[in-house]
Amino acid sequence: MPIKLIGYAQSLPTRRVILTLNELGLSYELEAVTEIHTIKTDDFLANKHAFGKIPVLCDGDFTINESRAICRYLVSKYQKDAKIVLIPDDINKVSLIEQYISYELSYFDPPLTKILLQEVFNKRRGEPIDEAIVKQAREEIEKVLDVYEKILVGKDYLNGEYSLADLFHFPCAHYICTDTQQGDIFDTRPNVKRWLDNLRNRDAYKKTYAE
Amino acid sequence: MTIKVIGFARSTNTLRVISCLNELGIPYQLEPPADFAAIKKDDYLANKHPFGKIPVLYDGDYKISESRAICRYLVSKYQGKYNNTILIPHDVHEAGLVDQFIFYESFYYEPVVAKIIIHEIVLKTPESEIAKRALKDLDKVLGVYDKLLEGKEYLNGEFSLADLFHYPCAHFIYSSHADLWDKRPNVKKWLNRLRNRDAWKASLEKKNKL
Repeated sequence: MPIKLIGYAQSLPTRRVILTLNELGLSYELEAVTEIHTIKTDDFLANKHAFGKIPVLCDGDFTINESRAICRYLVSKYQKDAKIVLIPDDINKVSLIEQYISYELSYFDPPLTKILLQEVFNKRRGEPIDEAIVKQAREEIEKVLDVYEKILVGKDYLNGEYSLADLFHFPCAHYICTDTQQGDIFDTRPNVKRWLDNLRNRDAYKKTYAE
Repeated sequence: MTIKVIGFARSTNTLRVISCLNELGIPYQLEPPADFAAIKKDDYLANKHPFGKIPVLYDGDYKISESRAICRYLVSKYQGKYNNTILIPHDVHEAGLVDQFIFYESFYYEPVVAKIIIHEIVLKTPESEIAKRALKDLDKVLGVYDKLLEGKEYLNGEFSLADLFHYPCAHFIYSSHADLWDKRPNVKKWLNRLRNRDAWKASLEKKNKL
């Protein structure tokens, strides 16, 4: 039975899972969610995601949600058969990768999401962009990226070698570059720019974003 | 060499790590910084945590920050070494579900409870719009948790890291909002189990001593 992914190909959390599936060379079926009410039904809440969110992954009888949990599950189960290492075996290396995954959740994602809510989602809904929020979020992310610029000195990836932590950062960063006016925050920092370009040029990323 | 935790015993993030150390029976020393200003100084940012946060854990020369990453490290390295407590199961599917519930805690639970803690305890503005809205949000979240816990003692059946992560935040606001938790029978029983665990009681002792 092929892996089934319930999600929306352009959504950031769904992209995170698709990137991982592509990196691991796994085939899957995407069950596209096009209307929000379908993920808020009692059945979906009871059997797929208690908070009515996508993506949800079904691997045979096993159902799991939350994009980062899904990705970690896929790596735990399928990495040994893949040609790539997204989470290494060494405990110390893994744990630093977990630390960078926590940085992504806590410091990187939130201000970028604020910008996306204003410049992409509000715009799409025909609502005005709150420039004060964009300005504050931009100041916040600039400080975060100054830290990332130092972390990436002499390194192509956050923990030296490519890992799941780098993958997790990409969807949000890429969306800022393609769909907002704030992409220069990455381009003006040479190490950060090199890091994102490295990711963008990986086969799995080209495949994911071509779809 | 003993594990060293830099943090404040009264901080929810540090309590998460202390609880984990206690659950796994791992000996450690807690080293509180001088004050909150100390963790924003250049030396701390350069050598301990670039975002000026606690806790930070040292295991010999190895350093790691971010409470949930620290706990995962402790489980990977020490689970089963000092006692039989399992915080992340070995089965890949069960571990995946524990992970899923950890993200529920990160995204749906903790941000809401954190707002209440900040407004009621830190800023002392319990009547603020943000605190009131957060309480309404928490009520909805606990409604979901009550369903998740139906027929189960813990989120994934057996006690895991996911349950452990939820308790420190709850501890700080339970007494001022007991009705919110207690009106949901499954949540009430779950919280009671968590607060009565020996490891949590030991963590609380640490908090109350320092």
